[in-house]
Amino acid sequence: MNNKKKICPSVLPATIAACMIAMSSGSIAADSDPIKVGVMLPFSGVYAGLGESTRNGLKQALKEKGNTIAGRAVEFIEMDTEAKPARAPEITSSLVDNQKADFVIGPVHSGVAMGMIKTIKGKDSIMIIPNAGANAATGAFCQPNVFRTSFSSWQTAFPMGKEAYDMGYKKIVTMSWNYGFGKESLEAFNESFTKAGGEVIKEMLVPFPKTEFQSYLTEIASIKPDAVFVFFAGGGAVKFVKDYDAMGLKGKIPLLGSGFLTEGTTTAQGPAAEGVITTLHYADALDIPKNKSFRQDYEALYGKPADLFAVQGYDAGQLIVDAVTATNGNTADKAALIQQMGKLEIDSPRGAFHFSKAHNPIQTIYLRKVVDGQNTVVKTSYAGLEDPARGCKL
Amino acid sequence: MSIFSNKSEKIFIYLFFAIGLFIPLFLEGNTFYINKFSTIIILAIFVMSLDYLVGRTGMITLGHAMFYGLGGYIFTILAPEYEAVNFWVYTFYVMLISGCIALIVGLIVLRTSGIYMIMITLALAQMTFYFFADSVEYGGQDGLFIYIKPETSIFGLSFLDLENETHFYYLCLLSLFNCFVFFKVIMNSSFGRVVDALKENPDRATALGYNIFHFRLIAYVLSSSLAAYAGYLFALQFGFVNPSMMSWDISATALVMTLLGGLGSVYGAIIGSFMYEGLHYYIEHLTEYWMFFMGALIIVLVLTLKHGMAGFLNNLSGGKR
Amino acid sequence: MDTSLFLVQLLNGVQYGLLLFLIASGLTLVFGVMGILNLAHGSMYMIGAYLAYYFTTLTDSFLLAFIISGAIALVIGIIIERCLIIHLYKRDHLDQVLLTVGLIFIFNATQSFVWGNDPLGVEVPEILSGSIGLTDIIEYPVYRLFISLLCLVVAATMYFTINKTRLGMMIRAGESDRAMVENLGVDISKLFTIVFAIGVFLASLAGIVSAPIVSLVPGMGEHVLISCFVVVVIGGLGSIKGAFIAALIVGIVDTYASVLLPQVSSMSIYLLMALILLAKPQGLFKN
Repeated sequence: MNNKKKICPSVLPATIAACMIAMSSGSIAADSDPIKVGVMLPFSGVYAGLGESTRNGLKQALKEKGNTIAGRAVEFIEMDTEAKPARAPEITSSLVDNQKADFVIGPVHSGVAMGMIKTIKGKDSIMIIPNAGANAATGAFCQPNVFRTSFSSWQTAFPMGKEAYDMGYKKIVTMSWNYGFGKESLEAFNESFTKAGGEVIKEMLVPFPKTEFQSYLTEIASIKPDAVFVFFAGGGAVKFVKDYDAMGLKGKIPLLGSGFLTEGTTTAQGPAAEGVITTLHYADALDIPKNKSFRQDYEALYGKPADLFAVQGYDAGQLIVDAVTATNGNTADKAALIQQMGKLEIDSPRGAFHFSKAHNPIQTIYLRKVVDGQNTVVKTSYAGLEDPARGCKL
Repeated sequence: MSIFSNKSEKIFIYLFFAIGLFIPLFLEGNTFYINKFSTIIILAIFVMSLDYLVGRTGMITLGHAMFYGLGGYIFTILAPEYEAVNFWVYTFYVMLISGCIALIVGLIVLRTSGIYMIMITLALAQMTFYFFADSVEYGGQDGLFIYIKPETSIFGLSFLDLENETHFYYLCLLSLFNCFVFFKVIMNSSFGRVVDALKENPDRATALGYNIFHFRLIAYVLSSSLAAYAGYLFALQFGFVNPSMMSWDISATALVMTLLGGLGSVYGAIIGSFMYEGLHYYIEHLTEYWMFFMGALIIVLVLTLKHGMAGFLNNLSGGKR
Repeated sequence: MDTSLFLVQLLNGVQYGLLLFLIASGLTLVFGVMGILNLAHGSMYMIGAYLAYYFTTLTDSFLLAFIISGAIALVIGIIIERCLIIHLYKRDHLDQVLLTVGLIFIFNATQSFVWGNDPLGVEVPEILSGSIGLTDIIEYPVYRLFISLLCLVVAATMYFTINKTRLGMMIRAGESDRAMVENLGVDISKLFTIVFAIGVFLASLAGIVSAPIVSLVPGMGEHVLISCFVVVVIGGLGSIKGAFIAALIVGIVDTYASVLLPQVSSMSIYLLMALILLAKPQGLFKN
């Protein structure tokens, strides 16, 4: 009883003092509060390599500015998506609602992207997609607070249609995994190839992620088309190209693909990849100054060569830097940030680009050929290609 | 006679639901944690249904996630795209349809037992996974979205808004409670006693004239419908279904949670779910290779903690079984 | 479909089936003799592949890598059996499932830690890298024919061992009546160690030999495991003969389904399994 009486009087002033300190530090904190960048990438599982490259690129961009923008430090909060769509809403919510991240960078996988977009819709956070190429992300599901610094699957396959026709191929068989990205790529190719006058005589969809291609290759051989256009990536791309060669098709039926067929896979594919022609918005050997300096710095920092995913992560970082600089360090007004971002031109290692109204890069697509294990740029296939953003209301 | 089998169960249940009722007040609208708890509670419902099947009825399945996924998909497919339907009506539909599917699946699967059953349930779950993953109409690999959540009115009175995270949390908590009560009731009923007997000594039960197959089938259908209900709640939480809900690692992880909590204890499902998710969350922040430690932990637990946490708690309280 | 196409697809199916047999035989052998369902069987396949990658890169000789990886796989099998599996003999099936799931987690994390997550490839050894012309446009890789031959050799060796040797006799006896075998003076624990080691060795062998024709990615073990289950269930648990026939059926059905029925191709082997089970719930060959 006595103790209680002694404590009570001192509690009240202490509480008031504490409140005042909290309030004042709150207002001071705003300007020197770190800029919170949530990073949602796969750090385990099949896509972990891509997640790592993206993160490296992202951090490189910030490191170039000493990890400070307009006097504010940058804080990274990293979470592993394991490339599992089911985890997307939970992790996004953690970064946005719990951590109050200003920006959320991610993901690699398109399925995860859809879950993220749905969760971040209308929230006080800006999502920058450094890879996931699902058309819908800047198409039917586009949002004001969602940007992309990578590509849409449509962009990477569309130019190849006309190229293929110009190369003299009139009848083509297309093949891919039976999932969003694969189907979108084949559709885009079909669109331009048919428009140019060619005919897709068969479209083969392989259950994802099956990599046993023998029966399909046998089928292709029996059809004898002028050329074959495929979308595969990662391990599937390695296997497909090797199997294509081993079945004796390589010299006889030209192999075309969207860039992912030979992106990051040429070492594993070995001599089987020689002569494979692809279209993509980047090539390691791209001969422009920004690419050369970027690659040099990347290798010095991380001890291995940069790849496409590093470039996309780097551009996401550049986007943050340029946007926050343009608003003089103010990240509280997201609408102002978004407005700035929409106007920016990014000096990318792939060539400069700016954003479409749907917030997807308007960029150059290159025609590449594998020579001596490297993707060399044959020519510019389509300069300033803008994704049609079908279904987007922005 | 008390509904509880032992003292530790009684204490745990009272404690858990008491804390569960008041926790949102302490979280002050921190939606991330409220959502996290909702997610774990939904998982607990799923695991509880599995525990009843595996622990009480003795049927081991590696394909339970099939019904989890089906629950979500049935709702998403049935519900019109831009209209808010009635939650209770659709709960009925989801459980009815999943129950029918469980009946058919059970007819195939329950003719086997032990290892065969494990492998067949796994294979059937895979088949369902591929059915949705390869489909065009049902969203394929990327899944489907629910644009408008159901409304919860009964006779025109509605006091739960599913868009509100705290309301949704209470719905989940209530569901878990109902699920627990439901299982306790059937376990204490004469149906439950026959099921126990079947597990202990199937030959004797058959000799006594019970048709094992019928009883197991009913238990299977009940358990699967509840798993579907959990999947339905999962779909509602974030408005999203995806074939990965049916993948075999969900089934395997649920089994691990059952083990952690204590096989056959039913209430252990709650312990197991929270333990696993808690550990996952904690270890994940420490290392990229958290799977290694999780695997080691599972092995240690299998070898040492034979009856899971429930068994451990039971021993602590000195209670009889 | 014309005849030559039909025949080449048949060859594809048989080749795939033989490889499936190589993997599945280990699983069914271990189960038949020891009553243990080893879910980490797929992980052993993955380990074989990654070890082959490692040693081929190190020694530049696939043959050496083949031998060393095989030896290591045997040792790993022995260690796992002695340390972990030994505790499962008195336990029920669920404990087996759980413990081996834990092993899968550990193996996957280790693989990711040691070799990372980028897809890796192994070059086909020089002498086997040619292709044989089958039709005017199709060539068949010699290496795949080599794999098929190897699988047949293994199958024949297994048949011979089980039916004509002492070890085989003990295995057959252990399958029917463990207790009796013990009473007759056979060291059952040594038998189990040998059988388990052989079982995982077979899976690893399949991984080693597949390395040049697959891409090494995380999760490759689980994918193969499930196909294995289908084979073993159709064939009848514990029956190696059953596994052989079932593997061929599954390989052929899967191959033809992929080109003739693409919409349901991934479900085809499960449908097949469900149909067979309706008629014969214990699989084609009861043990």
